[in-house]
Amino acid sequence: MLHIKPILSSLMRSKSAPVLLLLQIILSVAIVANASFIINERLSLMQRESGYAEDQILTFNLYNFDPAIDNMKQNQVDQQILRSLPNVIDASYSNMLPLSGSGWMDRYVDGPDADTAKSTPGFAFYLGNEHLLNVMGAKLIAGRNFTADEINTSLDDSGMMALVSQPLAKAFWGDESPLGKTMYQGEQAVTIIGVVDKLQGAWVDHENFEYSVIQNIDFGGSSSNKSYMVRALPEHIPALEEAISKALYAENPNRVVENFQTLTTIKNLTYSNHRLMATVLSIMVVLLLLITALGLTGMVMFNIQRRTKQIGTRRALGARKRDIIEYFMVENYLICIVGGVIGGMLSLVLGQQLMSLYSLPMVPVIYPIISVIGLLVVTTLAVIVPAAKAANISPAMATRSV
Amino acid sequence: MLSMKNISKVFKTDLVETHALRDFNLEVNEGEFVAVTGPSGSGKTTFLNIAGLLEGFTSGEFSLDGVNVSNLSDNKSAKVRNEKIGFIFQGFNLIPDLNLAENVEVPLRYRGMNASERKRRVESALEQVGLGARMKHLPTQLSGGQQQRVAIARALAGEPRFLLADEPTGNLDSLMARQVMELLENINQQGTTIIMVTHDSELARRAQRNIQIVDGQVCDFSMYQPAATGTR
Repeated sequence: MLHIKPILSSLMRSKSAPVLLLLQIILSVAIVANASFIINERLSLMQRESGYAEDQILTFNLYNFDPAIDNMKQNQVDQQILRSLPNVIDASYSNMLPLSGSGWMDRYVDGPDADTAKSTPGFAFYLGNEHLLNVMGAKLIAGRNFTADEINTSLDDSGMMALVSQPLAKAFWGDESPLGKTMYQGEQAVTIIGVVDKLQGAWVDHENFEYSVIQNIDFGGSSSNKSYMVRALPEHIPALEEAISKALYAENPNRVVENFQTLTTIKNLTYSNHRLMATVLSIMVVLLLLITALGLTGMVMFNIQRRTKQIGTRRALGARKRDIIEYFMVENYLICIVGGVIGGMLSLVLGQQLMSLYSLPMVPVIYPIISVIGLLVVTTLAVIVPAAKAANISPAMATRSV
Repeated sequence: MLSMKNISKVFKTDLVETHALRDFNLEVNEGEFVAVTGPSGSGKTTFLNIAGLLEGFTSGEFSLDGVNVSNLSDNKSAKVRNEKIGFIFQGFNLIPDLNLAENVEVPLRYRGMNASERKRRVESALEQVGLGARMKHLPTQLSGGQQQRVAIARALAGEPRFLLADEPTGNLDSLMARQVMELLENINQQGTTIIMVTHDSELARRAQRNIQIVDGQVCDFSMYQPAATGTR
């Protein structure tokens, strides 16, 4: 039988310590709920499927300093060299590296008249040849890839085609198939020929991160500095770095091959701030719960010491050991629940402020609820041992002078 | 009512053994008012603790209300204490954060009694000790004598078969002590068996029977005539 009323009366008449603990719990719930939400947001971001064969993709930069080099021709030769290396599955030039935080962004419109045409959302704008899709490991779910003879070398060429990511297709065309649609980049027409399941862009925090397009342009000839992606099985990647450098220097020593990174490394670097934030907040949540647990344990121990004779008297009057344990559990659960409810409401208010100040999403109600449940678990763990100790106080304590 | 045969209580430490009670024998009949006296350290409180099932004993046999209570589990001891024994302590042992009604209610809650029955008993017990009008007061708002009357009400509310009183007037002045004693005598007249530990020989004389404990043993049984100034 839970003796809530007299416990509540007792708490109301001896407020100081419970009020301090209540404040600690209110703040803990408010902070833990918001911190847990942010942690979960960050973890969700990091756990998104990229759609790429991350651990099979090796990227590097190539700088051609030799003014005599024909970049257009050299680009083709270099890609042939890369594809011919042992254990290489495929290789391609790309104007930008996925998840790298740096790249191109563009948008199409659905008609030649800029005033009346409807614009797609902004998307990551990959330029590449027929090999790029295979190098990325991205999955084509509708339409087809480019063929070798469809590849352009300049943004001004005609016969532009594009592969679009499924999220972009859904966002712009809904349930309608985008295949065969003609879109425009300025006055230039682009025909959608394929839909890729997932194709993330370069900016992991961007709201249009899942919106991407690959256009049929091998742009590697336009510049002396370029990025390449080579796909191989993970066990072959370490040896490949040396093989690539050796082969490219053998072709032309007057250049620099550097900055080898797998896509996994790039992804880890890009998400390092999120990981750090999640780690710091997790440590803070654990510390906060630990401090709250210590506060609860401290208050229970203080109360036991203060009420030793009272506990003995209760035992003398017929309280069983479990009644004494129950007393302390109920007393602290009451503080915890009241603190949890107020703290939960505070966390929602706090979340609303964060939402308006920093454009963060609203904290869902489930987070305060889970925080309160977590706090009840912490309360149980923090109180059960000292309460059990209190239950062992002899009823004979009632007749002693303490 | 209460029967102790050859009860011994030994407190052991690494260095010494202290015999608080040795071959202690006592029979108390239903409806008796027994005073227990003796010098400090004689074993009075140990006897009271054992009689009230507040602590165990080393050897011997103890039966209460015809039931052997020598080896009861902790839970069963608590049940017997709650249902059959009423306690009155020297320091009143009221819970300072609870008002009078809540204090009196404490043992009734442990019995699992419903709210209306608890309310009826609390009101009746506080009326009986003359504090029916002060149920919402806190113990600190009462005098020592009034607090002891609340403690008596708490003991009475459970309608126990017998009352154990540990120096019930020890912290009271003579006037209040007399009032409390009169209250106990009234309770005894209504049929409740009372065992009272006291240092006060005058109060002890007002009991029907006085037992002296010396060195952990009952050393003398004396039948007292009702005191000339007493109520009986």
